[in-house]
Amino acid sequence: MGAESDSVEGRPTEDALLVQRSRDGDRDAYAELVTRYEGVAARTAYVITGNEEDAEDVAQEAFVKAFYALDRFRPDAPFRPWLLRIVANEAINRRKARRRRATVDLSVVEDRASPDTALSPEAAALAGERRDRVLAALRSLRDDDRLVIAYRYFFELSEAEMADALAVARGTVKSRLSRAIARLRDVMGESGEMDV
Amino acid sequence: MPDEELGAVLADIGARLALPRAPLAPSVVARLRERRRSARRWTLRMLAPALATLVLLLAIVAVASPEVRAAAREILRIGGIEIFPVPTVSPRPSASATPLSISGQRMTLEDARRAVGFAVRVPDVPVLGSPDDVIVDTTPVQRVTLVYREREGIPTSPVAGVAALVVEVRGDVEPTFFGKGVGPDTKIEPVTVAGSPGYWLEGAPHFFFVRTADGSIRDETLRLAGNTLVWVDDGVTYRLEAQVSRDEALRIASSFR
Repeated sequence: MGAESDSVEGRPTEDALLVQRSRDGDRDAYAELVTRYEGVAARTAYVITGNEEDAEDVAQEAFVKAFYALDRFRPDAPFRPWLLRIVANEAINRRKARRRRATVDLSVVEDRASPDTALSPEAAALAGERRDRVLAALRSLRDDDRLVIAYRYFFELSEAEMADALAVARGTVKSRLSRAIARLRDVMGESGEMDV
Repeated sequence: MPDEELGAVLADIGARLALPRAPLAPSVVARLRERRRSARRWTLRMLAPALATLVLLLAIVAVASPEVRAAAREILRIGGIEIFPVPTVSPRPSASATPLSISGQRMTLEDARRAVGFAVRVPDVPVLGSPDDVIVDTTPVQRVTLVYREREGIPTSPVAGVAALVVEVRGDVEPTFFGKGVGPDTKIEPVTVAGSPGYWLEGAPHFFFVRTADGSIRDETLRLAGNTLVWVDDGVTYRLEAQVSRDEALRIASSFR
């Protein structure tokens, strides 16, 4: 479902080549795929587990499972959403196994020396406050709401990729996303849906 | 908060997710190898290493402290070395007093190459030059140790009086194997050395132990108590111990020939 050819994030042609070689047992090719997608995989896992160690372990395990599932993967389909489906699945299972609490400990790196010299100290402080507010709201969202927001805003997946990663029809992606944003605003004490 | 602002804040949050903290590929490849090995045949013989590990863990529990049980949850295995997290690693009292002693026979590099059944490789970097001593041991495992005493640019270990040690072990020897105890303050990072999986261990001291063929366990004296790079290439486990940075260690490792 949803493996339309217009979802061309990443480098699909090269991906297909690497997938093909991985299928033939070429570990170096698979290591290359891992290197290419470890960021989005570990971060997706983190969005769900809210724990760095778990997230990295989940991502590794997902890569291992994906390797053994390559036979069932259509080589011409995009690799990233297919991988993310496995990652999210694994992460949700991990969170269940850990007797999940209502909120996760999602946190981000704060400004280092001066990553954004354009911002005055006041503006940087304000941006930090806004970030904290949104982050706090994200922490209390349902896993699937957090996931759909992450796919769109953190990793900038296309609509087709999102549909594929979430295993839903393409038409459902928009409504899911706008409902997730509405709930986010709700937690933040704001109302109204976002025009996505 | 207006839509575009919320979108920007969310994008900002996404950009600040700092994961993974180290490359995942080496551990993924290691897991794939591990899985393939365990899938091959689950006979009692296959279980032998696991049983040996269990024995070893029990032994550590006996010599260390009760909390070990909880900490021994994760074992990193690479070639002939297994890395065990342990709650504390206390240097052996004797280690600080005695100079480095390595069991085995001192010989020339050429003789060492003839004496063991694997290709002995040496680093080719100016900072190390040629090893001062080449020590070969064939029991409990085939092992070659290269000793570099004082070297300019590398701090000499106060424990052992040497700047660097290179230990090369035939990695596929079972049921004999090496273990390495790692305390909570030791940083472990998966790395890739010339395409081969490895680990970089940095920080608090760690120790090695050996399970010999007759089943007894003895710990190898604490070595340099310094940073260690471990990697496996073509069935041989290499270990470089020196008080150098990770990048320098990787540079030295990639010069092996």
